[in-house]
Amino acid sequence: MTTSAELIEHGHGPSKQRRINQLGLWLFFASETFLFGAFISSRFATTQTETPADLNQALALGLTIVLLLSSISAYMAETANAHDDRRGFKIYTIATILLGTLFLGGVALEWTEALEYFPPGTIYGTAFFSLVGLHAFHVLTGLIALLVILFLGKEGRFGSKDSWPVEGVIKYWHFVDLAWVIIYPTLYLF
Amino acid sequence: MWPLIRGTVSGIVGYLIGALLATVTTSSTFSGEFALVLGFAFGLMGWLFGIGMWNAWGRQWVGLPTKSEDADGWRRYFRFNTDHKVIGGQYLVTMLVVFLLAGLVAVAIRAELASPGQSFFAPDTYNKVMSMHGILMIAVAVAGILGAFGNYLVPLMIGADDMAFPRINALGFWMIPPVAVALLAAPLVGSFNAGWTSYPPLSVLNADGQVLFNVAVITFGLSSILGGLNIVATVITMRAPGMTWWKLPIFVWAAFAASILSLTVTQFFAASLIMILLDRIAGTTWFGAPGGGTALLYEHVFWFYSHPAVYIMVLPGMGVILEIIAHFSRKPLFAYKASVISFLSIGGIGSIVWAHHMFTSGMAQNLEGPFMALTELVSIPTGIIFLAAIGTLWRGKLWFQTPLLLAFFWIFQFLIGGITGIFLADFVTDLSLHDTYFVVAHFHYTIVGGSIFALMAGTFYWFPKVTGRMYNERLGKIFATWFFVFFQLTFIPLFWVGLNGMNRRVGTYQDNLGGVNRFASVMAMIMALGFVLFVVNLLWSAKRGPIAGANPWNARTLEWQVSSPPPKHNFATPPSIDGGPYDYGTVGAATHLSGATEPVG
Amino acid sequence: MKRDLINTGLLWLVLTILGWVLVLNWNIFPPALAREAEIVDNAFNLLMVLAVPVFTFIVAIMIYAAFRFRDPERTEDGPPIRETGRIMTAWLVVTVTLAAGILINPGFVGMAEIRAGGEPDIVIGITGQRWSWTISYPNGVDVTSYTGELVLPVDNRIEFEITSLDPDVIHSVWIPAFRIKKDAVPGRITQMFITPTETGSFEDDPNVRLQCAELCGLGHATMAMKVRIVEQAEFDAYLDEILAEGS
Repeated sequence: MTTSAELIEHGHGPSKQRRINQLGLWLFFASETFLFGAFISSRFATTQTETPADLNQALALGLTIVLLLSSISAYMAETANAHDDRRGFKIYTIATILLGTLFLGGVALEWTEALEYFPPGTIYGTAFFSLVGLHAFHVLTGLIALLVILFLGKEGRFGSKDSWPVEGVIKYWHFVDLAWVIIYPTLYLF
Repeated sequence: MWPLIRGTVSGIVGYLIGALLATVTTSSTFSGEFALVLGFAFGLMGWLFGIGMWNAWGRQWVGLPTKSEDADGWRRYFRFNTDHKVIGGQYLVTMLVVFLLAGLVAVAIRAELASPGQSFFAPDTYNKVMSMHGILMIAVAVAGILGAFGNYLVPLMIGADDMAFPRINALGFWMIPPVAVALLAAPLVGSFNAGWTSYPPLSVLNADGQVLFNVAVITFGLSSILGGLNIVATVITMRAPGMTWWKLPIFVWAAFAASILSLTVTQFFAASLIMILLDRIAGTTWFGAPGGGTALLYEHVFWFYSHPAVYIMVLPGMGVILEIIAHFSRKPLFAYKASVISFLSIGGIGSIVWAHHMFTSGMAQNLEGPFMALTELVSIPTGIIFLAAIGTLWRGKLWFQTPLLLAFFWIFQFLIGGITGIFLADFVTDLSLHDTYFVVAHFHYTIVGGSIFALMAGTFYWFPKVTGRMYNERLGKIFATWFFVFFQLTFIPLFWVGLNGMNRRVGTYQDNLGGVNRFASVMAMIMALGFVLFVVNLLWSAKRGPIAGANPWNARTLEWQVSSPPPKHNFATPPSIDGGPYDYGTVGAATHLSGATEPVG
Repeated sequence: MKRDLINTGLLWLVLTILGWVLVLNWNIFPPALAREAEIVDNAFNLLMVLAVPVFTFIVAIMIYAAFRFRDPERTEDGPPIRETGRIMTAWLVVTVTLAAGILINPGFVGMAEIRAGGEPDIVIGITGQRWSWTISYPNGVDVTSYTGELVLPVDNRIEFEITSLDPDVIHSVWIPAFRIKKDAVPGRITQMFITPTETGSFEDDPNVRLQCAELCGLGHATMAMKVRIVEQAEFDAYLDEILAEGS
């Protein structure tokens, strides 16, 4: 199969299907925004802007930079795919996956410290572990999706004629990055 | 049956893997809370892949060609079928079955309440039975009209061949069986006794069954979100040529407005239930006062969903009723555009009124005034819906069939529900009425009145379309009247007992209220008996009823312009629309589907 | 057309008068033993009086339509009336006025009344726990719902300081004869102000009781305590009595 399977379900052409898919993805983001919003507002509702002094600010800043860099590489992967640059798509997707994995590793490191200084049984720890955990879960799903498109790309899928799956996954990755850009100041910068 | 077996087996295997994983990685026991959560998550994935998600969808993620899970005949209802009409039918039957089941639970509740003392249930058993009734009925009200009629009719009414995302649609439906299994299995691990509202700290401290409640309801919420996403995307992108926004049938608008709500605010319910799970399992302290959390947080997050949820239940009901009233009055829908604006503003304002559920909670005092004001604001757009209903009836040429009869009953009951809502929005009277049987009577009037009566009305109205046969009119009217009369006799007295010192969620109460409660109980049981008429009518008519033809009501909306039941892809050629859905009484007005039927009148 | 309007109007008038007669003559409330109860009942009555014509308006039109506008012949459509600006404007003016009216009175007026009432004469603590109440009197004596009752002095402004044990669950303090209620939340102290205006006891009416109104598990339904409202002198004697018993 060389085209997106959604095409088979409807009689209409690829450009309309692409519009429908894009809309669907944005609606999904709108919904997810409410989920993150619930936790972010709960953090402020319970702890206001209180932040413990023991936060590892350097590590958090580093993680933020890693995730922002991964957004750039993800964008490069999407562009490469749209221009049928298979090699570029592969390299940049792998780079994105590596950066994402690095981020998750950093989160794990951060959690071992956090368990000591502000465990889940404290109110800041509650907000911290819930929010970072929720976000890390999204990063993990994003990584799985990236692995899928990397694998399928190696099998010869995608390219400019069938770019939606790549575009969709990369958009999701950007969304997850954007979520961190909000969560980071929520937890660290007040 | 093969996919069901496949799904069940892989679901069980998934559960065992998840539970084992939890046992190995943490100190949880095999029947412990973390094992229940992880087991459910893996079991859900196993079930979904087994029932057909793998073949119809998952295979493409690993580069394999997908296999269609569609089938013909009755078998298609037991498969991962992507036809929106099949999914609508699956929802309708599932929700009616759950409704009857939860109705039986209600009969058990009324049996206990027939006398002041304890008769059948130990106090905690009563709480569990009441909680079960609550959450099952909430599910029916949320997914009944939207799941059944939303899926079946929205594509037909807008001239589309299917929903925007047919596989997501099937996915949404097949998430429901594990929800039912988890809820019904909860008594094995102590059940849940905190009501469907599940306020912590009670819901953090009670038995393990609460965990199954949480994962089930989170999954149900996800299904509801996916359904909402699909309807919103479908209405925006899949309208046939000429089907402009202002030509949409009113039901489509209502489903659209409700779907926007279910797409967004449902996440807050998920968040509140996830927080409870975290507090129980991960040792966080969102709601535990010793660690610095507060139970009030839950009430805010929960009601941010659960108040708008009322509109997720009732808006589609309004759409069904206005639809029926217009077609059976043989008149254009009065104040159509104003009704549409009302739907959207009910959804909008309804999302920022949640704290009127918290007037007695001890929240900040300066929130009380604004939330009372915002809540009472909702009455203005709701009033316009009543204007549309009576304005359409006025000087109409009424066809007094069962659907219209139920629509009349709907107006009457939703009116009582709306007016008594004012008493609960008002700060002073709410301090007295909050958490009493007045509230119980009020929300049965709004939700049974607003949603279930519309579900019944819609079931009769579209029955000939779905089955191709006509229901029995006389039996239909007897059922409708029966349900209506005994509903009043059951719930009007409950307003009074609420005013006279009977609080909610109690299995025993003060002796002086025994007589009125016994009366209500007897009436409730007679009401429940009436559903035999409903079930018999539908089952018998589906097999033996007279052939209905494509358009027995002579209605102008698109779904009546195709055969009954509609062909597989709805329209042989994509329809093009030039008339409006309610052009009754205009001689020579273009029909809705151009060239398909003769103009009426 | 004109006849339809007149007939429906008459029907509305008759139903409204019937409704008002019913609402104004039927006392549906239990005894009101506090200033706050009067405020609540007055607000309730005002809302009922306003609700009657709204309710009967819709019902009158429905009844009239059901009998007058049937078309068993099914030969023709109704007139194509879609929307008239005048009706819409009139409807909006009426509903907005009604909503604004009830928002002011009983809404904000009632809210101000119930919050007014001056400084408390006496402070009594109420602590909920599964599944009993503990009353803390100003003389330092605690009485639980297992053994005692809640005794209150009439014509005093009473402040209840309400909380729930920590950790425990949410309860809610409700005395139906006083109408108003307030939640008992673990880790928080909430306040409720009451001025009892008449004496009375649980033995006179079961609504003179302290009832838990928020689902709290097993013993929720029976988590209640008898209440007795007494004259000041009797209250003072009661305080002395429990103090003597306690020491």
